[in-house]
Amino acid sequence: MKPYLKPKAMRMKNIFKIIAFVVYLIPTVLLAETVEKNTLVLGVKYYNDNNAVQHLVISAKSKIDGKFQKIANIAVKVFITSDADKNNLIGTGITSERGEFILLIPPAAKTEWAKSATQNFVAVSAATKLYEEARGEATITKAKIKIDTADGKIVNAKLLVLTDSVWKPMTGVEMVLAIKRLDGNLNISETATYTTDSAGAVTGEFKRDSLPGDSKGNLVLLANVIDNDIYGNLSAEINVPWGKPLSYTTNYNHRSLFARRGHSPFWLEFLAYGIIIAVWVVIIYLVFQIKKIVKLGLE
Amino acid sequence: MDKLREDKIIADLLPQEFGKQGKIWVVCLLFFAALGVFAYGRQLYYGLEVTAMRDYASWGIYISNFVFFVAISLVGSLITAVLRLTNVKWSTPLTRIAEIIAVSAITFASLIIIVDMGRPERFYNLFLHGRLQSPIIWDVIVITTYFFISLLLLYFPLLPDLKIMIGFKERNGKWLQKLYVFLGSFWKNKAEQFKITDKAINILAIAIIPVAFSIHTVTSWLFATTYRPGWDSTNFGAYFISGAFLVGAGGVVIAMYIFRTHYKLEKYITDDHFDRMGKVLVLLALLYLYFNFNEFLVPAFKMKKSEEDHLLGLFTGEFAPIFWFAIFTSMFIPIFILLFKKGRKPIPAFIAGILVVVGSWFKRFLIVTPTLLHPFLPMHDVPANYHHYIPSWEEWAIAGGSLAGALLVITFFARIFPIIPIHETILETESHENEKHF
Amino acid sequence: MKINQNSRRDFIATTLVAGATLAGCATKNPFTAEEIPDVKPSGEMVKLLSVDGEIIEVDKAFLKPVPELPAVMNTAAREGIAGKKFVMVIDLSRCKSVKKCQTACNHMHHIHPGQNWIKVYPMQEAEHTAPYWQPTTCMHCDEPPCVKVCPVDATFKRKDGIVLIDSDRCIGCRFCMAACPYSTRVFNWEEPKIAKEIADKPYSCETSVPQKVGTVGKCDFCPDMVRQGNLPHCVSACPNGVFMFGDLLEDTVTNGSETFRFSELIKDKAGYRLMEDLGTKPSVYYLPPVNRNFPFENKVESGEEEKKA
Repeated sequence: MKPYLKPKAMRMKNIFKIIAFVVYLIPTVLLAETVEKNTLVLGVKYYNDNNAVQHLVISAKSKIDGKFQKIANIAVKVFITSDADKNNLIGTGITSERGEFILLIPPAAKTEWAKSATQNFVAVSAATKLYEEARGEATITKAKIKIDTADGKIVNAKLLVLTDSVWKPMTGVEMVLAIKRLDGNLNISETATYTTDSAGAVTGEFKRDSLPGDSKGNLVLLANVIDNDIYGNLSAEINVPWGKPLSYTTNYNHRSLFARRGHSPFWLEFLAYGIIIAVWVVIIYLVFQIKKIVKLGLE
Repeated sequence: MDKLREDKIIADLLPQEFGKQGKIWVVCLLFFAALGVFAYGRQLYYGLEVTAMRDYASWGIYISNFVFFVAISLVGSLITAVLRLTNVKWSTPLTRIAEIIAVSAITFASLIIIVDMGRPERFYNLFLHGRLQSPIIWDVIVITTYFFISLLLLYFPLLPDLKIMIGFKERNGKWLQKLYVFLGSFWKNKAEQFKITDKAINILAIAIIPVAFSIHTVTSWLFATTYRPGWDSTNFGAYFISGAFLVGAGGVVIAMYIFRTHYKLEKYITDDHFDRMGKVLVLLALLYLYFNFNEFLVPAFKMKKSEEDHLLGLFTGEFAPIFWFAIFTSMFIPIFILLFKKGRKPIPAFIAGILVVVGSWFKRFLIVTPTLLHPFLPMHDVPANYHHYIPSWEEWAIAGGSLAGALLVITFFARIFPIIPIHETILETESHENEKHF
Repeated sequence: MKINQNSRRDFIATTLVAGATLAGCATKNPFTAEEIPDVKPSGEMVKLLSVDGEIIEVDKAFLKPVPELPAVMNTAAREGIAGKKFVMVIDLSRCKSVKKCQTACNHMHHIHPGQNWIKVYPMQEAEHTAPYWQPTTCMHCDEPPCVKVCPVDATFKRKDGIVLIDSDRCIGCRFCMAACPYSTRVFNWEEPKIAKEIADKPYSCETSVPQKVGTVGKCDFCPDMVRQGNLPHCVSACPNGVFMFGDLLEDTVTNGSETFRFSELIKDKAGYRLMEDLGTKPSVYYLPPVNRNFPFENKVESGEEEKKA
């Protein structure tokens, strides 16, 4: 806990801070070249959502005081295959306060994408005042997930990997079967992960009985490969009517003591306005009496 | 009654120019008021940071002062309404003192609540976005209403006196004469006019009682509608009102003494008045004592965990000196003084009145602060100075300035208008004479 | 049954123009999940490359994460997200008072130094009961005493259960602070020092940033994060997974790495709420501090904290 300073002292302290800062700035400006910069680590993650939306998440972090911290406001250029060829540039971005940004893989990458089953993504940032230049890479093999259901609330998912321009099943990859929720995804049963068999398939049983879905009881099932070294992040989803239809009521429009203006309980309104009107009628009546007195006096 | 007697009464009771003492008094008050304004300027500039209030003690002496002002303003209804309706005649000379205390106190109560706001410039939001569910809105409504009723109750009995004063054109000077003419030139002492004012005053005397009870009950609800130990009480409305009557009556006794000695009004504010007001004070102090017993003894008997720290803090802890000071000065000592006939002489009664008012001010401080410093969850994860509340000089200056301001209003009122109703005093003397004749 | 993969949901491609392999499929299917009512097609299409090397077009509004989401209008922020009821679960058996939640919250909301929206209390009910750490956020009560007393609608209860403060409306009367039994509200006593990165951001009651002098602040459940599909800062910052956040209507809470069915979690671990007897009906649930495999070390009491400062 920092010692709390009295406001006045605080203002004084600020003045000292400014002076100290100016004093500090002089050598900083003069010797800018020699100031030691922090190393920056750029991370590149590949996502393939539902075999349609492909994107990269570029993150920047740096070790400060012995701990990795997210770094904002880093301008990053992203290349496909390699950064040697300027034509391979697929996008630029600036890291947010959370130290990352998202880059959708644009149509410009089409030619390079078509060349090979494995793809390389390179993120490069130039040196800044505080950080040295940095680069990060990710290599992925193109893959996709097919998801399907069977009777008895069974979920089937299959991992297909592009091998010699043919989509072939892949064994031994961990996959998660889950129900899509707001922030995190709820596994369909107690089993945390499934591993694909020789046919590249996993099978799981849906055990979340009467889990609320939408108003029709629909749930979105997901099959995910998460942070795989070779395939990146893959997901596929499917809608199933296995949930409990959601019916909810909100008391947002009810009259209550904690509702907003204009929504106070009727008893309160009657009581309050009744009293106000009664008393103010008397006051206004008396003001008119004054008028009457004035009139009598002027006669 | 002969003309001479009437002229004497008028001459005695007409407002007088400030003497040397009066000027010193006004300059002192102006100084404190100016200091308060300066401190408030600082608060406006730097924000509420200049106060010692912090997240736990989120209300401080501004709110204590607010409660104090609302309390003291209740006296208007006690003296004018309750005593009038119960046909108590001796209180006539005190009615205007009580009413002006009420009007000036309620004015400064509203001002001090604006001072307490973090964003006073958004005051209009209360009207633009007011929520009927909030006790603050109830307070705004009842205080406004009470203010207007009190003004009317001040104005109606003033009309015959205005006519008398208009007769002293030379003495009044240009500006006051203009003011009197503006306010009351239409008053012709006609029988119909008296009929209307008598009726109006009677209506007001009845109407002001529920409104006065509302202002202080609603003010008590600002606390009692929360869960906090020390505030979570069904006793609070009655507790506040009894305390308010006590401090109001104490204030009237002080004012009586000061006006009596300063304007030489011994014939009008007599020893008998002090004797009777002294008895009223004893009664009110006993009543307040009764509610205090209820308020502290009952929870102390149970010693619920949430109440324990708060109660022990008052009885034997951090706040014990102020607590016992307030209890003794506002109740026990005044009761002790005023129980004796000699204690109800002007000077001891005046001292008792001061004790009541000072003790009551600290009582209001104890209602607000100790509770806030004993929250349900222990005070934690805040800077060390958030654990205590010792008001800053700006807060004292503003609170003091508001008190000085209220006294200024009363002082100037007494300079401009007769502080004892002339017309009513003449009537009273007449009827008194008549009684003697028969 | 055959369910079309080209399902239309909040973040999935809506119109597939160039995607020859998928073209021709029906875009509507009987089990289409409903979209979040707040999300409407923007009409602005974004072109991108699919895994099959095809160029597809997607409406920007359905992309997740949405690239840059503008702050919602005041009226929308006051109403909240329809069809949601946010809850938090705090697992006391995991809390070691690391206070990452507090640091992240203070940092992201630019809270005045010394003040905290999240407090981590060292609790011990009685002499012979076990001490434990109790982090508190705003309880986002369903019958909020603070909202009851607000004279100007500056603090309000939304459809989604969140209790927010509109600092552009607040008059600074601090009645809400007196009314809150959880001591969760703080006041901006002085002009906040506004950091450069937020100086030109417009104020929104969903971000609670920038803070404004003379107004009340408190934990807001980070509705801006939730709108973007992210977890509140405290939840994602906690290394021990103490905080779990979710939608009661989805019956799911998550701390980012683990996801639980809310009703089962509360049932299995005997969850409870604070000061139930006051009738405030909080939206924050606590799991009791049982089976802890770490000692309770109160550095503040033993004086270590002071030495550090």
